[in-house]
Amino acid sequence: MEIVVCVKPVPDPETRLKPSPDQRTLDTEGVKFVLAGYDESAVEQALLLRDQVPGSTVRAVAYGPAPRTPEILRSCLALGCDAVTHLEAPAPVDDPIAVAAALGHILAPRPAELILVGKQSLDDEEGLVAPALGALLQRPSFSSVTDLRWSPERSRFTFQRSTDTAIERWEALPPLVVGLQQAWNDPRTAKLPNILKARRQPIEAVPASAIAAAVGGRTGRSLPLKFELPAPRAGARMIDYTTPDEAAQRLVRILREEAKVFP
Amino acid sequence: MTPEILVIGELRDGQPSDASREAAGVASQLAAGAPVRGLLIGSPSEPATAAWGRDGISEVCYLTAPTAAALPAGALVPGLLSLLSERPADLVLLPSTTFGRELTGALAARWDAGAATGVTAITRGTGGWEVRRPVFGGRATETRLLSGPRAVVALRPRGFPTPEARELTPVSAQRPLSEADPMGTTLVGTEPMVTGQGPSLSDAPIVVAGGRGVRSADQFHLIEELAAALDAAVGASRAVTDAGWRPTSLQVGQTGRTVTPQLYIAVGISGAIQHIVGMIGSRVIVAINSDASAPIFKVADYGIAGDLFQIVPALIREIRRVRGR
Repeated sequence: MEIVVCVKPVPDPETRLKPSPDQRTLDTEGVKFVLAGYDESAVEQALLLRDQVPGSTVRAVAYGPAPRTPEILRSCLALGCDAVTHLEAPAPVDDPIAVAAALGHILAPRPAELILVGKQSLDDEEGLVAPALGALLQRPSFSSVTDLRWSPERSRFTFQRSTDTAIERWEALPPLVVGLQQAWNDPRTAKLPNILKARRQPIEAVPASAIAAAVGGRTGRSLPLKFELPAPRAGARMIDYTTPDEAAQRLVRILREEAKVFP
Repeated sequence: MTPEILVIGELRDGQPSDASREAAGVASQLAAGAPVRGLLIGSPSEPATAAWGRDGISEVCYLTAPTAAALPAGALVPGLLSLLSERPADLVLLPSTTFGRELTGALAARWDAGAATGVTAITRGTGGWEVRRPVFGGRATETRLLSGPRAVVALRPRGFPTPEARELTPVSAQRPLSEADPMGTTLVGTEPMVTGQGPSLSDAPIVVAGGRGVRSADQFHLIEELAAALDAAVGASRAVTDAGWRPTSLQVGQTGRTVTPQLYIAVGISGAIQHIVGMIGSRVIVAINSDASAPIFKVADYGIAGDLFQIVPALIREIRRVRGR
């Protein structure tokens, strides 16, 4: 089975967020970009399925600027992906539909049975790439997917999809596009020898000019205007009490009269 | 120029869902008195049409198919595109649910529209729609301009008020999805989300969440009792779901759900960043923890340092007394 996993470099989850000098975006000065969140789960799931289905390969694909994008593709190699492709971009791409257009342009002539995407990125949290990519490739796409399995006897995928009120069980014929919520297990970490080996493995590069036609029409369709941090929380106002009942009464009074959130 | 707006809604128990009603309210505000079209996915129903009409939708049509509920979002796109080519729109609004987000991506890609999900405010700016949305798990907020002639925007459930009822008489029209193709997919079964009793985690106005401090699966009932007393949804930290005390569907945090209720009560949760990012967008946060130096108190608005096994029962009694039950 040909498996493609689409990943995106995101700021390290431990990053202290700060607006850029023009207040429009995150200040990325000194920020480390990593493979994180649902993308890690998507890579893990791709590797687990590859190891289960004989003759499978996993290719990781990412669209974005150097050096952050090839760096996370190296992480994918270190984790065990067989090949990686870097779709080059001069700058970070803000518009998720443009990202899907670039991925679709490259993936359409090289059909894979399974295209895995994290259900949303840790930074923008749009969750739009998987459904947009499915629509562009004219293939079904589901988000919030867990328990993704391949049934060799029936040549189809089975999976669960969480909606806001229910858990659905679906079956789908390949090719399928999945926005993954959770892999079968926690994502693995790369072992040192594999990290070293990954430094020498090739990264296939697709120049921006080869993608321009597919995404050019979308330039400037989604522009950042402002990046704001919430007013810092002062820390909790601690409730003084001598008995648990007193603590409870004080809290309920505050929630009713001050915070006005009591039902 | 008055914008042409189409609202796509979801039916829940035969009625437009709360999030679909909120979207109708936003649309009628943006339209400033001009008619707003609505589209529901499912079988036409008089009560649903009437209910949505009172929320400000002036014309409801239905995208129906024998198996509309069992189609991937992408399967609805051809029908939507033909609808939008007959009657153009500048803006499509829909709820930012699992299905709403899938449809946003699929429709925006094929309709060549700007797109955004999880939006908490939308205004018409110069050059397009300005949308505001929480990013980084609620640790920051961005404002983005969707330029170009078309946009698809998914609105965060509970991010907007439920519209006040008004008198309008919507016209119902049916639009069969005869050519909808399930694209080789089959829905084999649906189970209601295991969230215990009470409202669903993603749109409850109050969430009560328990953590490692609750100590065992049995003692987690205390959290559920507190939630029941407040008609709140139950949440859990990763420690709880990893230990198998409660299902992962209750997990709040980076690898679970992000919630933004009016009131979030964290009980026995120390406040690892993994958990904080899933609840920091809550309006008021209360923490109850035995360790007065726990990081949860840094993000909470109100704190009680103490033994949760004493505080929570007292709190349940007081809430029941005040609410008269």
